[in-house]
Amino acid sequence: MTVEDHVIFIVDDDASLREALIDLLESHGLRAVAFGSAGEYVEASKPDVPACLILDVELPDINGLDLQRQIAEGDYPPVVFVTGHGDIPSSVRAIKHGAVDFLTKPFSDGDLMSALRAGLARDRQARAERGELAALRERYATLTTRERDVFPLVISGLLNKQAAAQLEISEVTLQIHRRNVMQKMAAASLADLVRMAEKLNVPVTHSRRAGNT
Amino acid sequence: MPVMALCAVAAVLAWSADQPFGLLIPIAALFLSVHGHRAYLLYAVVTIGFLASLLVGAANGGTVRDHAMSAATFFAMALCMGAVVSTGTWPPAASGAVWGAIWRILRPYTPLRVAGGAGSGESIVPNGSPSPSVIHPDDRSAVAHAAAYAFWTGVPQVMSYRHRQPDGSYRRAELRAEPGYGVSVDVDAMVSGPDDRWTASDALDETAEVVRAAKVIESLHGKAWAFDAEGKFIYVTPAAQSAIGMSVDDLNAPVRGGAFVDGGDVGWSRGVHPDDYADAAAKLRHCLRTGNYWNVEYRMLRATGQYVWHRISARPAYDDQGKISGWYGTSIDIDVYKRTEAALRASERALSQLIDLVPSHIWRLTSDGQPVFFNKRMVDFLGVDVAGAREPGASRLEALMEFVHPDDATVFKDAFDRCRVSGDSFSTRYRLRRADGAYRWMSSRAEPIRDNGGRIVQWYGICHDIDDQMHTEEALRRSERRLQQLIDAVPALIWSTTQEGRPTYVNKRFTEVTGATLEDITASDGSPSLSVIHPDDRRVAMEAVVSAFETGRPYVMRYRQLRRGGAYRWTETRAEALRDESGAVCQWYGVSVDIDDLVSAQQALRERERELSHLVDMVPSMLWRLDPDGEPVFFSKRMVDYFGLDVGECGTPPVGRLAAAVSALAHPDDAARLREALERSLAHGESFELNYRLRRADGVYRWMSGRAEPMRDESGRIVQWYGLSHDIDDQVRGEEALRERERGLRQLVETLPAMIDCAAPDGEPIYRSRQLREFLGYGLEDLKEAGKSGLTATLESGVHPDDLAVVRKKYAQSLSTGEPYARRHRLRRFDGEYRWVETRAAAMRDVEGAIVQWNVICLDIDGEVRAQEELGLARERMARAGHAASLAELSASIAHEVNQPLAAIVANSNACQRWLTAEPANLERALKTVERIIRDANSAADVVSRIRALFKHSSEARGAASIATVIAEARDFMAEEAIRRGIRFDVAFDNDLPVLVLDRVQVQQVLINLVRNGMDAMGSTPGAKVLGLRAYRLEDLVRIEVSDRGPGVEFPEKIFEPFFTTKKDGMGMGLAICRSIVEAHGGRLWIEENEPRGARFIFTLPVERTASP
Repeated sequence: MTVEDHVIFIVDDDASLREALIDLLESHGLRAVAFGSAGEYVEASKPDVPACLILDVELPDINGLDLQRQIAEGDYPPVVFVTGHGDIPSSVRAIKHGAVDFLTKPFSDGDLMSALRAGLARDRQARAERGELAALRERYATLTTRERDVFPLVISGLLNKQAAAQLEISEVTLQIHRRNVMQKMAAASLADLVRMAEKLNVPVTHSRRAGNT
Repeated sequence: MPVMALCAVAAVLAWSADQPFGLLIPIAALFLSVHGHRAYLLYAVVTIGFLASLLVGAANGGTVRDHAMSAATFFAMALCMGAVVSTGTWPPAASGAVWGAIWRILRPYTPLRVAGGAGSGESIVPNGSPSPSVIHPDDRSAVAHAAAYAFWTGVPQVMSYRHRQPDGSYRRAELRAEPGYGVSVDVDAMVSGPDDRWTASDALDETAEVVRAAKVIESLHGKAWAFDAEGKFIYVTPAAQSAIGMSVDDLNAPVRGGAFVDGGDVGWSRGVHPDDYADAAAKLRHCLRTGNYWNVEYRMLRATGQYVWHRISARPAYDDQGKISGWYGTSIDIDVYKRTEAALRASERALSQLIDLVPSHIWRLTSDGQPVFFNKRMVDFLGVDVAGAREPGASRLEALMEFVHPDDATVFKDAFDRCRVSGDSFSTRYRLRRADGAYRWMSSRAEPIRDNGGRIVQWYGICHDIDDQMHTEEALRRSERRLQQLIDAVPALIWSTTQEGRPTYVNKRFTEVTGATLEDITASDGSPSLSVIHPDDRRVAMEAVVSAFETGRPYVMRYRQLRRGGAYRWTETRAEALRDESGAVCQWYGVSVDIDDLVSAQQALRERERELSHLVDMVPSMLWRLDPDGEPVFFSKRMVDYFGLDVGECGTPPVGRLAAAVSALAHPDDAARLREALERSLAHGESFELNYRLRRADGVYRWMSGRAEPMRDESGRIVQWYGLSHDIDDQVRGEEALRERERGLRQLVETLPAMIDCAAPDGEPIYRSRQLREFLGYGLEDLKEAGKSGLTATLESGVHPDDLAVVRKKYAQSLSTGEPYARRHRLRRFDGEYRWVETRAAAMRDVEGAIVQWNVICLDIDGEVRAQEELGLARERMARAGHAASLAELSASIAHEVNQPLAAIVANSNACQRWLTAEPANLERALKTVERIIRDANSAADVVSRIRALFKHSSEARGAASIATVIAEARDFMAEEAIRRGIRFDVAFDNDLPVLVLDRVQVQQVLINLVRNGMDAMGSTPGAKVLGLRAYRLEDLVRIEVSDRGPGVEFPEKIFEPFFTTKKDGMGMGLAICRSIVEAHGGRLWIEENEPRGARFIFTLPVERTASP
């Protein structure tokens, strides 16, 4: 685990705890950046590397849980909550919204580290998935309008002649479009293409049995 | 022809009598009587008959042949008869017939006879036919023509031609051709030379001078004679002798009496027409005696039995002694002249009569313009003759000019002079003075007569009285002008077209009004152009026009016509055809009248009528009209629709329509009332107004409000009744419902388990519900007797004396401001018991917002108030228990304060451990971490000791401190929060505040706590948020006040108790701790009401202990 391929954000209003956490994380070889308030964190520029956020529930400007809800809109790192007096509703709410862990101060070194590792791992995976989806979208963007018409018909499982009739084009033309779709989407098989469609939210609009919409 | 007819009849008779040869006699007569081409025809017929008979005879046999041969014999004999009867030279050779005839005519005049045949070989062609060479070449054709004409037609011809003389010169000769005289008989005798019989007198002294002279004459003239001095004929041209059928002896033969000269008659007398004889004989005798020339004309009897006019001239010849030796003379046939003259004279007479009778003036002028002839009519007209027109010193023309009207004289003279010079025909009109002095219009024309040289010889003129015509024309012109003016003045557009529709005329107004000329309304093909008609009307107009032109029927149409300037106006056009006697259309006359105003007015009228009728129908009421007798004459549409009954449908006489309508529509309960009211109104002319029920078309009876007013004429007599029925059923029912609801409401109010009171805007009660009356034990009426106002009486007698002041004040305030009033107070019941009631009052306002009434409700809440008091106590107890339970929460709060440093300590410890256990150990970092651990641990310990200090009231921490500084610190500490919440500090303290011994943190805590409480209290306060901080010395105390302008403290005694709080999230510990702190310092903490509002916390701190060290 190198210093550059990750970062741990700390948001806590208690300066001494911030210092202690940075020190602790450094002793574990983790790069950490600390902020005194939610506003500072939001404003700061963040490196595009796998990250995890240690977030205090009680913050001077905004509740940590509210911050979690706010940043949930975008791509945000997994959150590890720390709180002075944790209550059950808060922890349930935090976990429901995707928090990695909810630690009560004072917390143990082991709990924190395992939570952080889990968080980093989750972020890494999410990033990878985002990357794959971006690639898929890029490929999808290369499709022509006609090919996009053909796409849902093919993944809906329509026979070629059914799809051709649907679009009022010849079967041969449809086959050409279908081949292009497969090539452009770099799909190894129809099943592969169906999987991609699912990720791209291409809807299954037709049923082979009904024969129409 | 009678001869021929007679012959034909005789022939038929003879033939039928089987005596064919008897026919020869009539045929001979026939031959004798016919001449010319008829003779040819006769010959041809007989010849054809002969040939035909021969052919028939040759072709047939038996009796037919006998008959045919008999007929042929007959025809042959007839031919022979013809030949015998006719002259030997007849029939002539066809080719020489004409010239043969001419020759026979000319024979007596040829020089052959005169010159005794000498040198005249060329005159006669060798075969004896006459030669035309003796006739001048220019005259040959004319002579030939005349001869031929005479020969073939038998009409006498006289013409002159130039006859060549032996010496080659030409002399004029006269050719006469006359049937039966000049041609057929006499010529032969002349040709045959002197006959014995005719020349018997040659035995006389042929050498007598007169005879010689006569012969000379004969040679010159063809006819001559001579007689002696006694009048006895001694020579007569043989031809003449044969012509008159008398020889010289016959002429001299005595008839009666003695010698001619002595008055006896001789044979000559027989040759003279008896009428002429006496005169001729007398003249001859006179001449014989006197020797004068005898020139006489008489009718001479020809041998043929005809009398022919002759002019006979005779001159005496004298012997040496100067004695008349004889007479010689000649006679000229002047029969033709005579007859011509007679005819001429007759003609001239007729002409003269004609000229005099012609109803015109005829005149003649000389070439220089002098009148030479006026006809009788003109003379009669002018009253003067040509001669009479002459005046001394003036030409006749100038005299004539006197008769011309002075106005026309110049024109007339100019025209006449111009014509006279140029020779053109003269034509002019002028007025001429009649004999009676009246001028009459004349139309005069004159033509010049020119001689062969083209010179004007005379002017012939005619002058026609055209006065009547002129007057007629003038009248006509005037009438036409008047008509034209009329047409132009008529305020209508007038036009005419041919029967095909080609426009031929438009009047001036047409062009003025429409700006279109005749050309503009005529299309290129001659059809009428409709360019002046509005395009929308053009098609209809065209149809009307075409249909009219086809059928010939008059038409009327309305259309919009283009006006000068482009405007269209409604126009009515009427057109009718003018027909000739046969009924055929020869012209169309049309007139267009501007009816725009009319149409507009009509449209406006129609529009208004429509609007009115619309109005009548749209008015959401039923309108109707009755005649003075009360019979309905009109129902509005709405009424008809409403009742399903039209005027015409309600009843027939003798039952009145009104009565029928009433009985049909009115509700049985109302019918009598309605009828009576109507009859009364109709009878007295009063306005009618009644509410009643009528049956609607669907059978439902509905309330109606009926009104009717009579309309009267000037004399006050009722002309019409106008009525209006208004459906007020909903209104009536609404009113009923309203009344019902009001009753219900009143019942509701009365029965509501609440005491209701209504008061006037000044608070005077005007209504009290039953509940209230029962509660109080008296009603409004009982209050009046007291003499005070109802309000005061009620308040004084009812409200508990403890509450009276407040109630009166608050109620008066509400009355004056209009704010709702709500108050709990005790009210005296009828039995004397005071019960808690809640009185609420609200103002009822009208639309303008002014208070109309106060509605007051008064609820007996005595039981509730008491129950609430119980409940309040119980709740307080419960709350305290609850707050005690929340001590756990307090501890949690404390734990949070402690956990914070603890978490840092744990983290740092872990880090330190990792730095120390690292390979190699990072001692530097570990040391730094340990320092932090110490710091954080101290911090945690501070927190704990402070909490303890709160509760333990320890005085160890006390020290001398300036109270002003402490207050300033507290203010500074809260300054930021104050700005954030919009609160202004109002700080004021004495400058000589003493130094006090106190726990600085604790006193600060108290101040901050009080300041924060004040701020919280003003969180929702309207108006200025001012937090007052005040400190001043009061004897041996320092008094510190913290005031706010919030709503104040409701329970001033309870707020200092632990766990009592008015805040949602507070624990109720703050003020309790504050009070314990202040009391630990030997002071007091309490609360007062702040002025003008809010709360003021005051605490004191003792001075003396600190003042004396």
